[in-house]
Amino acid sequence: MAHEQASLLLSRQLKELCKSSVDGFSAGLIDDDDLYKWEIVIYGPPETLYEGGMFKAHLLFPREYPHRPPKMKFVSNMWHPNIDQEGNVCISILHEPGDDKYGYEKAAERWLPVHTVETICISVISMLADPNDESPANVDAAKMWRENFEEFKKKVTRTVRRSVEEL
Amino acid sequence: MGNCFKSSSNDDISLLRGNDHHDPALEPAPFVEPPPPYRPQQRMPIFHPSPGVSRPANQLTEDEQIKIAQRLGLINHLPTGKYDGTNKKAKECVICMNEFVFGDELRYLPCMHCYHRECIDDWLMRSFTCPSCMEPVDAALLTTYQTS
Repeated sequence: MAHEQASLLLSRQLKELCKSSVDGFSAGLIDDDDLYKWEIVIYGPPETLYEGGMFKAHLLFPREYPHRPPKMKFVSNMWHPNIDQEGNVCISILHEPGDDKYGYEKAAERWLPVHTVETICISVISMLADPNDESPANVDAAKMWRENFEEFKKKVTRTVRRSVEEL
Repeated sequence: MGNCFKSSSNDDISLLRGNDHHDPALEPAPFVEPPPPYRPQQRMPIFHPSPGVSRPANQLTEDEQIKIAQRLGLINHLPTGKYDGTNKKAKECVICMNEFVFGDELRYLPCMHCYHRECIDDWLMRSFTCPSCMEPVDAALLTTYQTS
């Protein structure tokens, strides 16, 4: 039953996103036969360093969706405090649900079963606009963002240019 | 960020099958053995004691067993009902995104959000939080007890 629920939910989201696109990203399947693997293109949000970029990412859903979160990984080269060197997105809403005993993150900050491709992409867009440097996945990027913003800017501009060339 | 470890969740099915051996001496030899009695395949239920950890019931620590038993008890105390269309505000289950149909079994949380019983019960075993308002269910339970 869980399995059917996941594919039903994902196929419905695919249909809706094809019918009426949402500002800021486009989404589709990597392979038409596999509802669990999505390809996303995030448009760099206007008036940020990432403006003009078209960043390709993969969104991989587990069979237990919506009870468990997908993983998101940028395929395009990225430079951002909350995206690690392999491109994995590290935001709390994509963290496994529940209360961990260390109280590191509250259950309410973690994954919730109401999240969809759309809400995830919107969170990622706002993460691009507003990095969280308290718990960086890319420590070097976080340090550069804080201490050498000019250099950070240059590096991001380069990834923006590259993302468009590679698309 | 932490919490990225995984645990394997292999069931040892051989333990569940029981002992089906027959003593050949007791059977009339030339006949084909009748098919074994029908047994529905039972799988060990999987629980989620902490974020990203899923384990079959027989591999939980004592603390985890207590935590899960308490959780099951609390969930069972949350009111349930059948959808009859009287609640105009709740039209669909935001977990499965399906509209409620007359007769659907619902579960009501203390914050007054409601979901399909099957959808929310599975979720509450993973996280004791309302998916709509993110209110911790146990905290909300306490406040309803205090005010009533």
